[in-house]
Amino acid sequence: MYDYKAHLAPSATLADEILKQLTKINEQTQTKTAVIRKNGNEIYLNTTTTNLRKFNMLLNHTHRLPLTNLFCNDEIAINGHFTLYYTYSHHLQNCHFIITVPITPEEPNFPSITKITPAADKYEREIRDLFALEPLEHPNPTDLIYHGNWQNHPPHLRKSVTDLSQPPLPEAKDVPEPALITIDSPDVYQIPVGPIHAGVIEPGHFRFTVAGEPIINLQTKMHYTHKGTEKLAEQMTIQQGFFLSERISGDETFANSFAYCLAAEKIAKAEVPLRAQHTRIILAELERIISHFGDLSGIAGDTANLFLASQFNMLRIMGYNLAHYLTNTRFLRSTNKLGGVRKDFLKGKEHGAVEQLKAIRREIIDTTEIAQNDTMFLDRLEHTGVLYAHTAYDLNATGIAGRASGLDYDVRKNHPYSVYDQFKFAAHHLDCGDVSCRFNVRLSEALSSVNLMLSVIDGLKDGEISVPLPDKLPPYEYAYGITEAARGENMHWLMVGENNTIYRYKVRTPSFCNWMAVPYAVNTNLVPDFPLINKSFNLSYSGNDL
Amino acid sequence: MLKKYEKVLKYRRLTNDYPFKPIDNTGYVGAPAILADKCQKCRICAQNCPAKAISIDNDGYPNVHIDQCIYCSLCADLCHAQAIFMTESFTDSTSNKANLLRKPMIIEQIPAVDTEALAEELKTKIQKTLRRSLQIREIDAGSCNGCDYEANALMNPLNDLERLGITFVASPRHADMLLVTGSVTRNMHRALLQAYEATPDPKIVVACGACALSGGIFRDSYATNNGVDSVIPVDMYIPGCPPRPPAIIYGILKAIDRIK
Ligand code: SF4
Repeated sequence: MYDYKAHLAPSATLADEILKQLTKINEQTQTKTAVIRKNGNEIYLNTTTTNLRKFNMLLNHTHRLPLTNLFCNDEIAINGHFTLYYTYSHHLQNCHFIITVPITPEEPNFPSITKITPAADKYEREIRDLFALEPLEHPNPTDLIYHGNWQNHPPHLRKSVTDLSQPPLPEAKDVPEPALITIDSPDVYQIPVGPIHAGVIEPGHFRFTVAGEPIINLQTKMHYTHKGTEKLAEQMTIQQGFFLSERISGDETFANSFAYCLAAEKIAKAEVPLRAQHTRIILAELERIISHFGDLSGIAGDTANLFLASQFNMLRIMGYNLAHYLTNTRFLRSTNKLGGVRKDFLKGKEHGAVEQLKAIRREIIDTTEIAQNDTMFLDRLEHTGVLYAHTAYDLNATGIAGRASGLDYDVRKNHPYSVYDQFKFAAHHLDCGDVSCRFNVRLSEALSSVNLMLSVIDGLKDGEISVPLPDKLPPYEYAYGITEAARGENMHWLMVGENNTIYRYKVRTPSFCNWMAVPYAVNTNLVPDFPLINKSFNLSYSGNDL
Repeated sequence: MLKKYEKVLKYRRLTNDYPFKPIDNTGYVGAPAILADKCQKCRICAQNCPAKAISIDNDGYPNVHIDQCIYCSLCADLCHAQAIFMTESFTDSTSNKANLLRKPMIIEQIPAVDTEALAEELKTKIQKTLRRSLQIREIDAGSCNGCDYEANALMNPLNDLERLGITFVASPRHADMLLVTGSVTRNMHRALLQAYEATPDPKIVVACGACALSGGIFRDSYATNNGVDSVIPVDMYIPGCPPRPPAIIYGILKAIDRIK
């Protein structure tokens, strides 16, 4: 039998050894290699478009390091070219290889790696849309962000584009049909859904191709909520950008602001006080359980198990109540701050918080027991919406979606940030990749988050809750802020500009990766199971579209 | 099985009684208020507001545009003179956008928050005008999903809007009211127009959240409009980022009041 696990296991090769091999590739073309080690675990390394595919082959295939991010930065003002940043994360060695590739404005194209590394697909199309750089030999070079109603749009993320006015909306008849595959066969039909869906959820367009009952193909068209977040950030100061980061995706407010703060604090080389670190962990975990309970309730609701749905909804309310009790907010907005936290949220509330957490824990344990004895419910979840491990790896499915498919990876464990490495907590992963695995991983994770919060509160020490950041951060410095959001690995890359402004703010939320995986999980399932499968991923549209 | 019954007995009823009984709003983060007698006109608030919601009037005083405000309370933190503070109000919904401009006041002028019961008469009104029910179609026209999660929370066991005869429906063709969140991105522009046209008359449009009111923090981006009313007429504005569920309930009920 094909041993996918052995095939997928990331190599344990030391980072230095990989570096040596990469330098060798560069030497073959007389390219000088400059290695910059930064911020603890970021290794920046340059190459050229000629060597790019060899680099990708070595990192992504030979060493099986997933491509976790790919973005472009307009550095013409600094060094006369665009730079592509390819990030490959070495989960076992706690480091990220960031390969930089210069692209001159005279030759606005780069070799596509999508055929070898499918995870690159959306990133490359994003760069094509927003920077007008063409990925050569891309298998599907269609518009991602700009739908048909943008005619002759400028590449908005180029610095030279300063006119942000919008041309009038074209007539409906002038808008071309979306570039989706249609199948001409009497036995196959298509169901278009969206952008406005039946429930109270965000907009996106799905097109199912169905043969009889099973779905044989699902195409998604997203970016209906594209708000131009990254360009907006470039008009803001570091301080103001913080509030924008909170609004990338409503229910991941804290995970996003946390990542933003981590990046800015790395650049400022600020030492965040311990009490602030602890408070942040408590709030981040609180956000995680609130999100998990919502998803669990949705899964139960979509199988028409209303008792379980209400039970999880009640747990979610308990989470929100705790958030309100500690911070007076429900979404933990304005609780974080550059250099620490806004207030001493736990002061005098330790006891109350512990009581509430224990109540939540009791309820989780009881509910788990009820769920696991409900065979009819479990029957619906098992073997539904299977995401295979190799697909998950190829598309860099992250968070619950990856962990339920056997990818044992959690940023909190593999690239510990803040003070997560000082605490013991259980990480969970399962192998089958179906809805039931995602349900169970979520459930166990919620429980271990509650336990983690309890142990953090237990070890809480008095102290400062923030340090001031310098008035001006050093211009053109950059850093990654990476956190584990409820949905998975959340990567923010920040480059400071002159006068404490933002030069470039690249956000890659877990939803961006996981949306690529949903169509694969849906294939061969029945249409009525789609809501259930979609819920088991529960991705953010706003976080994907930015 | 027994466990199930145990839970049913233990948690008989979670639902709160708002709007029929007052609600406890302690700790709510409401709209900021500016105290005229304390303000020293230093403008630090206007310079730092991330949503550009504070403008300076002719007398040099800061004015807050609640429709743009994202309730981040940064101004209250920055003000050396403690001239700005966050109220605990959640009842700022209004049908007239001009009401959302807040000038500096003296403390006595700051309106008390109306946490009181919204009265039985409203319920009778719903029953009369809408024949027992109000059907809402929620449309996300490019929000960050904060507002949508709060709209979703209206149906959870705590708020349970159905007890008022209000339900969320799947199609705009079945709806009496559109509850729109988000700043109306360019890619959602046409979809929103189509949904509006598909909704039968008489219809009410409620804009929910800073984005829907003015674009909020996403104002003046290349990819969005500045709020719902730049695309379709709006009957009720609910400020907040996101507005809390009681604030949305209040706004919806106030909007119903406008149906003749
Ligand atoms: S008003 Fe605030 S919470 Fe609502 S969609 Fe806009 S940013 Fe999100």
